[in-house]
Formats: sequence, C-alpha cells, structure tokens
Amino acid sequence: MNRRDFFKIVATTGATAAAAGCQQATEQILPLVVPNEQLVPGVAAWFATVCRECPAGCGVLARNREGRVVKLEGNPDHPVSQGALCGRGQAAVQGLYHPDRFPGPQRREGDALKPVSWDDALKTFAEKLGGVKGKGKTLAVVSQLENGSLGALLDRWTQALGGRPRVTLEPFGYEAIRAANRATFGRDAIPYYAIHDAEVVLSFGADFLETWLSNVHYARGFARMHTFRDGKAGTFIHVEPRQSLTASNADEWVRNAPGTEAAVALAVLKLMLEGGQAADRRFGDAVASVDPRKVAEESGVPLETLQNVAKTFAAAKPGLAIGGGVAVSGSHATATQIAINLLNAAAGNVGKTVRFGPDSAYGKVTPYAEVARLVQAMAAGEIEVLVLGSGVNPAFTLPGGLKVADAIRKVPFVVSFAGLPDETTALAHLVLPDTHWLESWGDYSPMEGVNGLLQPTMKPVRDARQMGDVLLAVGRTALGTEAGKGPLPWESFQQYLKAAWEPVVKDKWSEALSQGGTWREGAAAPAVAVSPRVERVDAAAAKLDGGEGLALIAYPSIRWYDGRTASRSWLQETPDTMTQTVWDAWAEINTETASKLGIRQGDVVKLTSPHGAIDLPAYLSPTIHPGAVAVPIGHHYAPYHLRLKYVPAGSASANPMALLPAAADAVSGGPAFLSVKVSVARTGARRPLAVLQATHDQDERELARHVDLATARKEALGGKKLHEAHLSMYSEHEYKGYRWGMAVDVDACIGCQACVVACHAENNVPIVGRAEAAYGRQVSWLRIERWAEGLAAQPHNMFLPMFCQHCEVAPCEPVCPVFAAYHTEEGLNGQVYNRCVGTRYCGNNCPYHVRRFNWWNYEFPSPLEIQLNPDVTVRQLGIMEKCTMCIQRIVAGKDHAHRDEKRAVRDGDIQTACQQTCPTKAITFGNLKDEASAVSKLANAPRAYHVLDEIGTRPSVTYLKKVVRGGHEPEPRTGKGQA
Amino acid sequence: MTKAGVGLAAVVLLAVLIFFAVSAWSRQPAIAKPSVQPINFPHNVHVQSYKIDCQYCHADARRSEYAGLPSVERCMGCHKIVAADKPEIKKLAEYAGKQEPIPWTRVFKVPEFTYFPHKAHVRASVACQTCHGPVETMTTVAATTGPSLANDMLNLVGFKPAPPALTMGWCVECHRRENVTNKRQAPLDCVTCHH
Repeated sequence: MNRRDFFKIVATTGATAAAAGCQQATEQILPLVVPNEQLVPGVAAWFATVCRECPAGCGVLARNREGRVVKLEGNPDHPVSQGALCGRGQAAVQGLYHPDRFPGPQRREGDALKPVSWDDALKTFAEKLGGVKGKGKTLAVVSQLENGSLGALLDRWTQALGGRPRVTLEPFGYEAIRAANRATFGRDAIPYYAIHDAEVVLSFGADFLETWLSNVHYARGFARMHTFRDGKAGTFIHVEPRQSLTASNADEWVRNAPGTEAAVALAVLKLMLEGGQAADRRFGDAVASVDPRKVAEESGVPLETLQNVAKTFAAAKPGLAIGGGVAVSGSHATATQIAINLLNAAAGNVGKTVRFGPDSAYGKVTPYAEVARLVQAMAAGEIEVLVLGSGVNPAFTLPGGLKVADAIRKVPFVVSFAGLPDETTALAHLVLPDTHWLESWGDYSPMEGVNGLLQPTMKPVRDARQMGDVLLAVGRTALGTEAGKGPLPWESFQQYLKAAWEPVVKDKWSEALSQGGTWREGAAAPAVAVSPRVERVDAAAAKLDGGEGLALIAYPSIRWYDGRTASRSWLQETPDTMTQTVWDAWAEINTETASKLGIRQGDVVKLTSPHGAIDLPAYLSPTIHPGAVAVPIGHHYAPYHLRLKYVPAGSASANPMALLPAAADAVSGGPAFLSVKVSVARTGARRPLAVLQATHDQDERELARHVDLATARKEALGGKKLHEAHLSMYSEHEYKGYRWGMAVDVDACIGCQACVVACHAENNVPIVGRAEAAYGRQVSWLRIERWAEGLAAQPHNMFLPMFCQHCEVAPCEPVCPVFAAYHTEEGLNGQVYNRCVGTRYCGNNCPYHVRRFNWWNYEFPSPLEIQLNPDVTVRQLGIMEKCTMCIQRIVAGKDHAHRDEKRAVRDGDIQTACQQTCPTKAITFGNLKDEASAVSKLANAPRAYHVLDEIGTRPSVTYLKKVVRGGHEPEPRTGKGQA
Repeated sequence: MTKAGVGLAAVVLLAVLIFFAVSAWSRQPAIAKPSVQPINFPHNVHVQSYKIDCQYCHADARRSEYAGLPSVERCMGCHKIVAADKPEIKKLAEYAGKQEPIPWTRVFKVPEFTYFPHKAHVRASVACQTCHGPVETMTTVAATTGPSLANDMLNLVGFKPAPPALTMGWCVECHRRENVTNKRQAPLDCVTCHH
C-alpha cells in the first residue's frame, strides 16, 4: 500500500462526514488607488539608511515589500558596515514593529500615562516651554549621540529657548581614551584603529567584537587580519579578567586580576624597552618605577607571559594595542590608555594602525561629569523642563549611585520622545513618541569623512511624529514666531536636513539618498606625535570601594548594548555565545569561589555594593578570575510585551548599573564601571538558567577541529586534500543543474550570533520563550556551538555554526513516512511543510540535531506579523522545520538569472541570510558543481572537513578547521593527535 | 461487544478522526462560487469589445509574483470619459473620489503554503486562460478550483478524472506534459513552490 492509497482509504471511511466540508471565508483584494512607480507588489524595493541601534552608525539597506520593511541588511557600499550587520542591527525591525510602541502621544494623569491628541500634547509642551523661556537655564535637553542635522537643530532650538547646553548621553563614552589621547598626543579624540592592517593586535579589555566603538567594522577588520588565508594569519592577544567573547577569539587570552591592566600594559612596555625591541626608547621615564616582577605577582600574569607578549608585540610590523571595557574604566583607566598609547608609539604604530583624522563620533559624547552635574541640578530643583530624546533611558543606563530616577521626579515637567515605554517614560509627564529611525529623516556621521543619510523606509507604524518636526513646531509656538521667520524658520525637519546637505551634495540629493550618504576614502591623516613631555605613569591598581568581596565587572553585552535592545525577542532567544543562556541575566562567578561560598549554578545570589543591590541567578564559570564577579549590563524584562508568557512572573529586572557609584573617575571624568567590590550571598531562592548547550566538552567527537598554523601553511601551499567521500549503500544522486552547498570557516567565526538573528528575520522563525527553550524546544534553525579545549581555566574556544547539513546520504529522508523530507534535484534536503504530519522521526534520526519541531502555534504578537517574510511559509503546530539554505533566495536568484538576464546563476548571485550578515565572512554559499565557485574551492581546501564525517552522511556543508597559532596550540584532552 | 468488535469500533473511530484532520488540511483552497463583486465588472466587454490586453490592467504579471490589479487611477484613466454616466461606472467614480481602493472579492487563490509566481509563467508564454479559464467570455469571473470531494470519490473507485484547476496534481500534470511535449524545463521539485 502506498501513501496515496492510505489517504484514499482513510478518506472513504469518513466520507459521509465530508458533506459539511471546510469553506474558507471570502477574501478581499485591494488595489492601490494611485500606483507607486517604485513599488511593484511582490517585488522588493530597497532603501538605504543608517542603523541607529548604537552609535557605530552602520549603513543598512531596508528591504521593503508591499510598503512594509521586512528585513535589514548591511549596505555593501558603506565604509563602516561593508555589507554586514550585527544581531542588534538585524533585530531593529522588532523595535519598529514592537507591540509595546506607544500608539500616540501620552500625558500623565495621576500614576498612569493616558492617550492625548497631538494638538493637545503640543499645546501643553509649548506652554511649558513658554513658561521657562528666558528664566535662566531651567530647560535641559538630553539626546543620544546625534552629531548630524538633528544634533545641530537641537542645539539651535535649545539656544533659542534659553536652555542649558544639550547633553549627549551615551553610557559608554570612552572618556578615558580621550583623556589619555589628550595627555599623550594632545588630541581630544578617539582615533580610527586599523585592525585590518595589524599583524599583532594586543587588546586590553577592548571588546571590539562585541560593542567597542564599532563592532561590525572591527570584526570585519579582525577577520582580514586574523583569518588564515594564503598561508598567513595575524596574532591576537587579549588581556581581561573574564573570558569574554572577544577574549575567546584571542590566540592568547591573558587573565589578569581585575584593575591591574595599567600595570600589565606598563610592564609590557618596560619589557619591550628593556629588550631593545622597540623602535623608540624615549619612554623609559614613563615606566621608570615599574617592576615587571612585582606586576606579575600582583596581576597574576606570569612574568614569562609578559615577556612573550612584549616580544610578540614588538616584532609586529605593524602591531596595534587597544584598550576598552573595564581596562579603561575606573581609577586606573587613563593610566592604562596612556600605557597603551605609549606601546603604540614605542612600536611605531601611530599613523599606521592608530590613525587620527577619521576620528570616531564617540569623541563628541558629553563627558559623564557634565551628565552628573545635570542630574545634581535636577535633584536640586534647578530644572523646570527636561526634554529627553529617543534612545536615552537615563533612569536605567546611568549608575545607581546617581539616583537619577529621584532627580527626574524633582523636575516639574518631563517630556520624553521615546517610542517604547521604559524606566524613564514611567517618570515622564508627556510622551511624544518619535518615529523609529526606519521611519525617519536624518543623518549621522559615525566617523570623520563618513556622513550617513537616513530616509524613511516605510510609513510610520504608529501615530508617531519625528522629533525634529515636533521641535520646530513647538519651538515656534513657544517663541511666538511663524514658519519662514525667526530662529526656527523651517517647515519640517526634512526641509532642514535638505538645506543642511544642499552645499555638500548640490543637485546629487537623490544619488546621496540611494547610496546611503557620502563618504571619502583614504582621507589624509594628520601627523600626530607624542607630546615631548612623557610623564611617569601611575601603575597602581584600580581603587575599588566596598571593602571585602569580589570586584564587580559590569560589561556591555553584544545583545543588549546599554539595554536599549533588550526588548527584542529575537535577541532574548538568541543565546549568549559564551554561556549559551537565553532569556536571562546572570552573575558569572568562578567555580572555585562559588564552591567556597556554597553557591551552585542557578542559585539566586544577592550582589550588594555600597550603592545598591541586585538579585541574579549564578552562572559558574571556570574561566573568570576568582576575585571577580561579572554581570552583563542592560538586561531587563520589563517592560516587555506579553512578558508573562515568555518569562516567569516576578522575574525582576537586574542591571548591574544599580551597583555603581555616582562619582566620575577623577582623571578622565568618565563613569567608573570597575569601581566597586560586591558581597555575594545566597538568597536561598533558585532560578535555573535556560542554557541551550549542556556541555562545552566535545569529548572525542571532533565536531570542531583545529590544525596548527605550521601544518595549515604547509598543506595550503602543498594543496593537500584531506577528506574523501564515504561509500554509500544508497544509489548515487545525479544533479543535472546546480548542486548547492555551503562552507563555514571555523577560523573566521567569532561567535557573534548575527547570523542566528538574521535567520530569524529571514525565515519567520518563531520565538518560544524561556520555559520552552529550557525544554530544548527552541526553533532557531541555526545555532552557534561553543566547544572548549585545553585547560578548564584557560580553554581555547571554537565556534561552530550548526545548521542543516543537507546531507547527500541524509538520515532524515528515508524515515519520513509521508515523503515530506526528501532530496531535491539540487542537492538540498527539502522539507515540505504541507506534507509533514509531525511524526518527528526525521528529527530523531538527525545526528546533527538541527531539525526543529513546532510544539505549539507560535504567535507573532501584533504588529510583529507585519515583519514576516512574505516569501516564506509561516509554519504551524505539528510541523518539522529546519534550515532550507534560504530556498526562497535560491528560487529568486534563479528567477533573476534565468528570466531577466537569460544566463545561468553565477557565483555570488545568491547569498543566504546568514552569509549576507556575517561580519567576518565566515560563511560561503554556492554551486558545488561549478569547480571555480568559491564554495567548491573551500570544500576542496586542505582545511576542509565534515562534521561527523565518520558516519557517512556526506554533508553539503563543509567546515574549515580553526588554525591555532604556533606555541598556543590547545592541548589535546586525551593525548590523541589531531588529524 | 466482543473484543474484536471493540477493536473494530476503535479502528473506525480512529479513521474518522484522521479523516477530519486530513479533510480540513487538504481542503484549504476554497472552492470559489461565482463571485459577488462591489462593481459589476464585465471582462468580456473589456477583452472582446475593446481588445484590451490582460496585462494592460494586470500589469505586474510579467515582473512579479502577483498579477496585480489595476489601480483605481488606471480604471479612471479611461472611465473619466468612457461610459461615465453608467451606474456601475458611477460607483467607480465614487471610489476614486473618496480615494479608496475597490474591495474586490478574491476568486483565485492557491494555499498560503504555495509560492506561485506569475512572472515565471508569463515569461514562459503560458496563456492566462490556461489557469484562469476563458475569463474573456465571462461577465462575472467564476471558477471552480481546488480539491473536490467528487474528484476524490471517483479516484477511489478507480476512475482517474483530470484533477480540478489550481490543485497540485493539475499543476504538476501540466509541468510534466510541457517537459515531455515541448522540451521545457518546468520544475518538478517540491521546494520550488513549497518553502
């Protein structure tokens, strides 16, 4: 009996019941009233704009289908993102369609915000402004980093109304870098670091693969510098007390005691000078009092390691030393960065890999000390009207010691332009929701010479108005002037923007818009010299208050930044790569310290500093320094749509900012993220974390493999092919046209999870929430596995992106009773949703565990359903699904090549969503039948291997071994040699 | 009841339950009735009397997944003058005046898990009538599409009736036929349409 007969018999049995049948309701189709020539229904239109999820300012292209933005991709022409985008950028559409977005303006009535009309809201605002006009500096304006037209307009507006100078609030302002550059180079700026040109990168805590300055750009640069290519690969050394994602990508991760970074940097400099390896020996004075032996003792970094680091760094032509994270935040911050500057100067890197000129926009952030002064003024009742731009949430992102919420409560009238409810709008009297940046006009310059242009990529989802428009209208009313006259004559912000750009672009406005802005390549960098007087640098460790306890490391996370992206459910469900935890924050404690304190994984611990206390579940890690506890910044549940459905009730928000002091670091004036010791105590409660990867020990399975640099070089030059196809008992497949395949370079993958989020966006992958994820029911088609080798306390990590391997001899196919899993003519494992009856046999038989089952009808809370990709079926309960290699993109690519251009698909025509967004270009897709294609070359490269090769599944996905640098080779766990 | 009887009843009950599931699932495309449209639009007048090409109004068929409907503005392009006094045209003018779309009732629909691109078929010179029937003769578009019970029953008793329009069997039959008779390369891979 075949499948069809089975269904026929089943159908006959109940034929009588069929009379009722299922009739669909009538459906309407609505034509456009006036056709839009740019938009063809069913064909995507792309709009260039600038990502404003963080100050990095990556260029993006928004894919608009039928008037709705459904996906973002990096703008390949933009010098910052160069086509890539991080997970936060990919998830920006979830901010656009966020269910919690304010439906319109709100006014406080008692304890609650109540909807109000725009006219009334603007009238109230204008009246209040009229009241403070000319009454001294009682108007304060706070915005995120806006250095383009909106910033200029805000300054003009504030000045016209007689307010205090505008405050640009960015919790991560890198002020110590600016302070050190003032001291060393006489420049108050954050330069461009040419990571891609360095042979050796020596980082002191700079998490440049996560949040530091411009993570996508620097990840691209890191890939160029570090990934093995043509027998060459750079070296990366990272100094940090905690094994962060960036640290785990280092060839050598040096674990130091928290707060000793300045001493370590100075010791490296001293050893470099002593070794005579440095080009310039003028800096002896600066390190005169440094004793490397003592530093080794204090920091816990062996002297030998310090010597090796100094030697490696000095030998680099050129090298690059950078600082960030807790290394340049705290009382030792400026000293650390000065030491880093001297390292660069001594090695002759300034002007080569450290380039002043294309300076970062971060250099224009208002110093934290100014912010603190404003908060004091608010607390003292000196401010009558406080205007908060969108993107700022001071009640959440500033140190708890500042008591910002209390200060804001003292302000009689607080206006917020935030689009989403947050801790600060909860204190606002008037909320005038700004349009999302995907709905807005604007411009932003992430670095000197690069001017990105923002344009609306769709109509506003909610009844929001652009901040610039509101300010112009309200400002005029308050000043009693008319459009065309006075200090604010512009009709709209769009008009203001165009006027500002007119001298630059002249009649090329449309070209600038479609390109996404203007930029000049290779701007000449001014010569920068070390100031003649190099003073002795203080190598003292960072001062921590709080007496006994563990040093608190509050670090910005790649998913939350300062907390502004925490309301994106894709990011909540994307695991943190190092801990593989979803839907939660945690306190990372060293395993040994925890056992002394009697803390188990998942125990809720109370962290208490002199400034506040938070409760968090403990995550035990063998890698973090025993004297430290690390907490990611910015995680919060509330406010989050339908949060009770996705996380358990009563899950409190837990931001380590609450534990930090108000005082600015005395030398740099920046906030001190490394400045307190916290006591860690069990509360008795338990909150087991939802951890998606049970072990990081791959035992002897060799899922992620590595090869040492010397061997890789020898084989690359010799062209040795390592793997051979296994014999199969099944008949061979014949591919008439194409055979699709992918290659993943494990040496390039940094584990940033951007691909995972891009896959969610492209393929309508639902989110399941915390409880379901803890059961292992997450649906994401792609996951990044972290595999650790070597010593537990000092492991070498390999990141293995794992998705459907599209095996030629696929275990899933023969076990499907309804032929829903089958082999396509082009070498893919097809999954036909409308055939699938949900037996889950295929998932059970898959050795890669990449098939995902829909245990429920997962919902897309309105209006998130607007984001769904119309080219991909939304799966329902009882359906098995998995990676399709973006079959919809393959179909579209073939359609374009065959029908529009009458040719075969060429290499590079089709990019999968994960490949497209990858900052390090670790993923390649293409036709394996074409021997000249990039994917074929990689599949036949000496480093190529297949995961679980020995079971003979013959995957279409090839992995390339990680290349471990000479001398830093992971120790094989069992003494067994690597292939 | 005997043990076997209980077993039989259970089997029958199970089969009925399975039937309900399968029937609900397989009958997703609607069997369209003659449509009731907000404006009585006669295709026959436009195509036969005025010789207007299908793609003049359904202009996206050659470049998009969707064939597209004419915008209200396009209708008014002619009807500002032509037959402006007729009651049906006055309805059109009313929509145009209010700047509102005309809420046409959908007649043809493939299930939502099916990707059907008009572009590929138009570029392959498939006549519109091949799938949509003799629309040029219709005053009101009607179509019988999707799986029907009668068809299933005939299949069961051994007859092999042609599958009704817009069912998968019907699509695949045409693709197979074209590949054999006209040496075309119409895809037969499931994932071409189901993804």
